[in-house]
Amino acid sequence: MHTVVIRASALAVALLLGPVCLHGQGLVRGAVRGPQGEAIAGASVVVPGTTLSTRTDLSGRFRIPSVPAGAVRLLVGAMGFARADTTVSLTGGDSTTVDITLAFAPLSLPPVDIVSNKVPHFGDRPPTSVAQVTEQEIQRRAVGTIDEAIEHVPAIQFVNGQINIRGSTGYVQGLNSRVLMTVDGIPMNQGDRGGISWDLLAVDDIESVEVLKGAGSSLYGSAAFGGVVNLTTREIPNGTHAQVRVTGGAFGDPPHSVWRFRDEAGLHGSADVSASYGNNLLGGRISGGQRHSDGYREQDGRDHTHVAGKARWQPAENLRVDLSGSWAVDRYDIPLSWCNRGECDDRGQVYQPYMIDTSESGARTDSRKGYLAAVIRRTVSPKLAWVGRGSWLRTHFIDVRRSATEYGIGDRFGAELRLESHPDSARTVVVGAEGTLSDVTSDIFGSHSQSEFAAYGQSDQRVGPVRLSGGARLDLMAVDGGSLTAFASPRIGVTIPTDHRARDGGVLRASVGRGFRAPTMAERFVRTVALGFQVVPNPTLRPEQAWSFEVGHISPPLFGFMRLDAAAFWTEARDLIEPQVLLIPPDTILIQLQNVVRARLAGIDASIVAAPIPQRLTATLGYTYLDTHRRVTNDSASGGPLAFRPRHLLTVGTDYTMGAFGLGADYRFGSRPESIELEGFVDPRRVAMNVLDLRGTWHRGPVELRVLAANVLNYVYNLVPETLAPVRTITLTAVWTH
Amino acid sequence: MRWLCLWAPVALVAACGGGLQPEPICASTLVGACGTLRFRGTIPDSTDNVFIAAYVNFPQTCTDLINNRRPVIPGSVPYTDSIADYSVALDPGTYHWLVAVWKKEGPLTLSPADTALLRVAGYYRNPADTTQPGVFTVPNGAAAGDLDFTADFDHLRPATDFVTCTL
Repeated sequence: MHTVVIRASALAVALLLGPVCLHGQGLVRGAVRGPQGEAIAGASVVVPGTTLSTRTDLSGRFRIPSVPAGAVRLLVGAMGFARADTTVSLTGGDSTTVDITLAFAPLSLPPVDIVSNKVPHFGDRPPTSVAQVTEQEIQRRAVGTIDEAIEHVPAIQFVNGQINIRGSTGYVQGLNSRVLMTVDGIPMNQGDRGGISWDLLAVDDIESVEVLKGAGSSLYGSAAFGGVVNLTTREIPNGTHAQVRVTGGAFGDPPHSVWRFRDEAGLHGSADVSASYGNNLLGGRISGGQRHSDGYREQDGRDHTHVAGKARWQPAENLRVDLSGSWAVDRYDIPLSWCNRGECDDRGQVYQPYMIDTSESGARTDSRKGYLAAVIRRTVSPKLAWVGRGSWLRTHFIDVRRSATEYGIGDRFGAELRLESHPDSARTVVVGAEGTLSDVTSDIFGSHSQSEFAAYGQSDQRVGPVRLSGGARLDLMAVDGGSLTAFASPRIGVTIPTDHRARDGGVLRASVGRGFRAPTMAERFVRTVALGFQVVPNPTLRPEQAWSFEVGHISPPLFGFMRLDAAAFWTEARDLIEPQVLLIPPDTILIQLQNVVRARLAGIDASIVAAPIPQRLTATLGYTYLDTHRRVTNDSASGGPLAFRPRHLLTVGTDYTMGAFGLGADYRFGSRPESIELEGFVDPRRVAMNVLDLRGTWHRGPVELRVLAANVLNYVYNLVPETLAPVRTITLTAVWTH
Repeated sequence: MRWLCLWAPVALVAACGGGLQPEPICASTLVGACGTLRFRGTIPDSTDNVFIAAYVNFPQTCTDLINNRRPVIPGSVPYTDSIADYSVALDPGTYHWLVAVWKKEGPLTLSPADTALLRVAGYYRNPADTTQPGVFTVPNGAAAGDLDFTADFDHLRPATDFVTCTL
């Protein structure tokens, strides 16, 4: 027994640290270009059936070391281009160069999926719905923060800054999120409140976004209850590169004179600078910027400063180290709720949506947040690689109110070790262990810590044309060093091509998985005053849990110019955490968060991508029908829809390109939510969402100009009670790239 | 451009109409009561706000005053000018007391103890007999209007002038 342990330990050490025999291996390098010779940045290049893969840099170049000698098959793909499948000859200890030209294919499917498996899957469709936002889409939308780009993805809606994937979260005033955000695979939900800081990174630092719709807890654990958003940061290219981005703009005036609240237009602007240098051994990128906004309503000003950095070091062909971090400082006014009659100079109106309750004047938040992360990846052999990472996320806020000042400092330390294996060309196995320690020091949450340890594994097996996927994760959690709570999250899925002849043909998918979300420390321990009532802690909160089912189909190209992706989904959730009003005789009223709600979220989610005029005109249409049903445990009389979930969501987008010019439009519709929380205590006024954005671009050489008119019709609406949603906002952006 | 032509008009039509609109205090969409409140006297330094409340039946006790108030969580009326418009969303029905309540600074607990912070500043009176409270009816889908009365800061009256309180 003792000998076995020693041998196993020696093997583990050898895997992690030992030298690797590189005999019979070589280097494959080259460039990926479009049909007109233009470099394609961000294209995926993969040696199938191995751990070997990379992405092209800004000049379209790539290099893959440690490739087994012989005939090497390469798969190459990029969004908007047809996939290439080529074979090159490689001699051991040598290198070979291959230049690959990709043909335009506007209806091609995303070449690589990472978020559903934690490892790149080239050309395979995931068994669960995944949406991708490419770098081109982010740039084309001329957005200022990454959430503005994601909100155009079908089935996603932001409710006052909180992301909903198929109605996952609703609106919980920042106290949690049922969606996990990762940056390059590293979890970044806040340690204390579990929320997401969408401005943690500048939009220029993001290369692409993947959105996993549905429970992702089998790989990602808590918070992936309703889905995962993975931000992929820019790769550091070889050579010297720099970019300067300047924006300026104005907010629209209220459409009715009785709502006017200032004499001059509100303005906003920003400046961002980034620079990078890289070679084959190492590289670094640093970026920084500042933003100011007067805001579109009273007491809505905001100042934001950020700096971010990323470095890579490749001391050996099979070893890569990445370091990254960011730090952002915000100071923003808080328009807590709009002015109801008598709360301001209401000018004879029942409410003034652009003005605030003057008893809340001066409310603001000072916020600081940042992270540090290190990732080490070692390719032990073409069949085996390991990845280790460590991260630290810190958030610090000070809420300044007239009645009280509150603060909170949250840390989230994370570590993960993952093995990626390709035992044969038809199978991929991922196993890993992850540990997280979160702590909080706050006058409203107290001083507490929460530790989580998890082990997970997932295998993908190709059986003929069918791909089977199965995995599970076991999470163990403890609060303040107390007893352990265990939670198991299995998931299985299958994809079946419905068109064997075409490489990008139709695919049927189905999956079932279990998701959970551990209560945040803010939910367990919050002690504050809301709506004039005392909010008391509930340390006994249990994890929320859900089973999610999905069946979907991606069609092959239809009529030669469009493609349809449709899915039906069904989630059965229980132990959802919601605020409850406690009546304690004789006359005490308290609010406490409790595990009291069972819910069903079911619906369909369909999208169409069309390119009626290739290279010129593209259009997208997304529609989500969401039917929710809520029932309070032990209350047979309760019922009705979940709060803040619109039954219908519609997104429509069009882009027309003509030489150096591009024009685009996006329309978003969300039906009026049938239910809100605390009805009877807040102004129930709410309407449907109807937002039309127009945009244009022009580029020449290193210079690009963009204009975005968001909510161009100045439609006045709100998504949560007494909170005005953004009004017409014009933004001009100039980008210079070296 | 045919795609643009197809959906852009739909978006334009959808987004041009609807949305939040200005709503005068005595709005056509109001279901409840509205009118004008005139102010007299000197505003006390400890004033937090003034709100309007309605009662289906005239309250008998402090508990009635708190528990039967409509709305339970009151809004407020601007009181710094000599006159202010007000409106209150109420369920259709007949109401026997419409009162302007002065509130002292301090948190409400929705319990009879709240009466320590509250005073009756004035109430709507019967036009035929101004010594009596006025009775009004909120019709289905409409508002009872012109319910004008006066709040007097120099004569703020405790709840015990109207009801029996056992705290």
